[in-house]
This record gives sequence, C-alpha cells and structure tokens, in this order.
Amino acid sequence: MTGSPFKYLGALVFLVLAYTVPAQAANPQDFVKNMGDKAFASLSEEGLSQDQRTERFRGLLNEAFDLPRIARFTLGRYWRTATDEEKTEFVALFEKFVIQAYSNRFQDMSGQKLNVINAREVSASQALVLSEIEIPGKAPVKINWRVRSKDNVHKIVDVMVQGISMSVTQRDEFAAVIRQTGGKVGGLIKALRRKTGSN
Amino acid sequence: MKVVRVLPGRIARIIASASCIGLLAAGCATAPPAGDQAAVAAFNEANDPYEPFNRAMLDFNLALDKAILKPVAYVYKEGVPDPLQTNVTNFLANLRGPVIFANDLLQGEFDRAGNTLLRFAMNSTIGILGINDFAGEAGITGHTEDFGQTLATWDVNDGPYLVLPIFGPSNPRDGVGIVADSLIDPLSWLTPFEFRIGRTVGTAVDRRARNYDQIDDLEKNSLDFYAAIRSLYRQRRVDQIRNGAPASSTPIPGGISVVPQKTDGQQSKATTTEK
Repeated sequence: MTGSPFKYLGALVFLVLAYTVPAQAANPQDFVKNMGDKAFASLSEEGLSQDQRTERFRGLLNEAFDLPRIARFTLGRYWRTATDEEKTEFVALFEKFVIQAYSNRFQDMSGQKLNVINAREVSASQALVLSEIEIPGKAPVKINWRVRSKDNVHKIVDVMVQGISMSVTQRDEFAAVIRQTGGKVGGLIKALRRKTGSN
Repeated sequence: MKVVRVLPGRIARIIASASCIGLLAAGCATAPPAGDQAAVAAFNEANDPYEPFNRAMLDFNLALDKAILKPVAYVYKEGVPDPLQTNVTNFLANLRGPVIFANDLLQGEFDRAGNTLLRFAMNSTIGILGINDFAGEAGITGHTEDFGQTLATWDVNDGPYLVLPIFGPSNPRDGVGIVADSLIDPLSWLTPFEFRIGRTVGTAVDRRARNYDQIDDLEKNSLDFYAAIRSLYRQRRVDQIRNGAPASSTPIPGGISVVPQKTDGQQSKATTTEK
C-alpha cells in the first residue's frame, strides 16, 4: 500500500484546514498570530481599491471578532432598556460604524510586523494575548487582544492599543451620546445612522 | 516597592473641591434627578461635573490648534526630513530625563531610576546632547514618568475630568503634577528663558506632528469627539500609572472582571527578552 492516495488526502485536508480555518487554531495565541498574519497579507496587498479593502476587512472582522458581543458590551447598562428592534438595529449599525472607522487604518502597513509575545489566562473562557506591532523607524506599538474561547473556537472580544481598550472607549463614547440625547438608545441609533450614512 | 505613602486620597478631594469653587462655578453640570438611577449612574461614571466648562475649553483648544499648532505641525512633519525629526524627538525626550529620574525615585522604583540615569548619561554624551537614542539602540529602552503618576502611586485619586486651556485633557491630580514637574526640573532653573520657551514650543510641535494622523482620524470617526478624548486620556493615564502592565481591571466584554494587580514592567521585560 505504498503511495496510498490517503496520504495525499491527509495532506490535502491538512492544507485546507491550515489555510481556511485559522479560527480553530489550537490556542488563543496561535489564533491571534494566524489572524494577524492573514489580515496583514490580505489588507496590505497592493492595488486594492477602497471597496475591495473594505470588503476584505468586513470578512476578517466577522471571522476574528465576536461583534455582537462587543456591540452589547459597548451599550453597557442601556442594553437592558433597549427594545428588541433597537438591539437588532444597533448591532447592525455597530458593524457598519466599526468598518467605516477602522478599515482605513490599514492602508499603509508596509514593513510592519505583528509579534505575538505570550498569552495569559484571565478567566476560564478568556485569555489575554500580548503582542506588539513593529513599525520601521518607530517604537513598537503594544497591542493586547482579549480572546474568548468556546469549543476550540476563538473570537476576539477586545483590543487594547497601548493600554487603551477599543471596547471601553466605544462604550464611554456611546454612553456620552445617549446621555446627551435624553438617556435613550434611540438617540445613539440616530447618531449612528447619520454617521454611517444609513437611513 | 511602594516606600512612600504619605499623601492620603483626601488631598485629591481637597484639590477637586477647591477647583470647583475657584474657577468653575458657572460651568458645573447639573446632576440628574436622584430618582433616575440610570442617569445618576451614568453621570457618576463620567466623573465630569464640569462638562459644560470642559466642552467649551476643548472648543477653545481646538480653535487654537487649528489656527496655530496644527498648521505648524503639518509644515514641520512634511518639510523636515524624518531622521531630523527623530533627532528632535530624542533630544526633547532626553531633556525629560531628570524629571523622570526624580519621579522614579519618588515612586520607590530604584531599578527604573537606574535605567533612567544610565540612559540620560549615555544619550547626553555619546548620543550628542540626546539627539541620538544611543541607549535605546543598545537595548536600554526608556520609559516616562511624571508627578501626576507619582501622586497616583501614592494613592491620590485623579479627581474629576478637567480640560485645561492649552494643556488639554487633565484632572486636578495631573494638573498639580504638571506644576510640580516644572518645579523639580533642574533644567527649568538652569536654562535661560529663551531656551525654556523653545523647549515648550518644540515639545508641543513634536508631539502634535507625531500624533497628527491619529487626531485627524479620531475627529473624523468619532460620534462625540469630546467623550472619546476623555475616555482615551483616562485609559492612557491608567496604563502609564501601571507602567504598561496589562490591566485586568477594566470591565470585560463577556462580563468577568479580575482584581487589578500592579505588576511593574512585566510587559516591558517580556518585550526586551524577545528582542
């Protein structure tokens, strides 16, 4: 049975798994490393149009991040007072808002490199992965990823850049908008609609 | 490593209340009615009783920025060769050496004080008055400290958010820190007035130029620029006070919070061994 086709089948399965399902990496640390490499390769490709980059970013974002969970977190105490319709619309607008705000930040990544340093458990289901981005000629930027793992599927629930949590920043900002619009989630939804150009 | 623990949190409260009486009576925000629990909780969480004053002050600072600092920073950023800009950044950072050293000592961080002293000695000499980060290239990376952080390690609370004219985002603790730092800085006693002005202007332009794109980005992409800056400032300060050690105290999406532990310089150690 030398030269069994199964041998190649095995290799094929391995390749398919390795290149299409990084979200099922063995541990949070590898998961961040794989996603980071994939994002760098995919978003820094030369000659991408703005729309193409945005589309790729949307794909990566949904693959790597638990967006509904993050959206819920950023609404804080107001999540409980929101109606079901408001929740659904808010989560959808949140995705749009994040894509609009962040997809342009990945235009010029030439020479940059993500180094994953280590990971530590912060709870039974969450780990903090410490990394830094090397930027030529500048001090490295410290980035920590909070990764939630369930059934060996990893999803990012927060990113901390130089100690600043994106989720917390967003939650604080949303809370301020809600306060200024009379304490109602509807006010925030209106502001998000305006910002993302959706009506 | 905390050896000094003399200033109680009471001082922060005194500073805070004094500042309310002193300059801001007209700018105090009205607290929501006590019955509205969510509104009260949100109001307390924001810890920003002078919000109307602060928002006006941000507008003032932004107008000043757009008229003067931003255009100057733009010309500097685009016109001056990058290596020269790095020299300027290094030179200005090196000037802060004595203040960082003093604050390291006041915090009882003797290893870090030694590191600061060594860097200052190396960069001021071999690095030619600090224009080259010779120590950094040799693997002795620097850190920053200020008296606001020192007060924080002495358990002085930050107090309410405060936007200072020209200085920008702050709070009573960090405001006192700015004054104290300039008093303990030997360079502010030993150098002529013109040098001090040049240094102040240079520091402002250098910092504005380095953060140029981020500030534009934030202004463009935020729903409430003021609230975003407030949140970023506070989180950045907490990170600096913890000396960059990853904080587990922030509320986590997913709902678990972990007791904060001050683990000095763990991350920076990890990074240096990595290199």
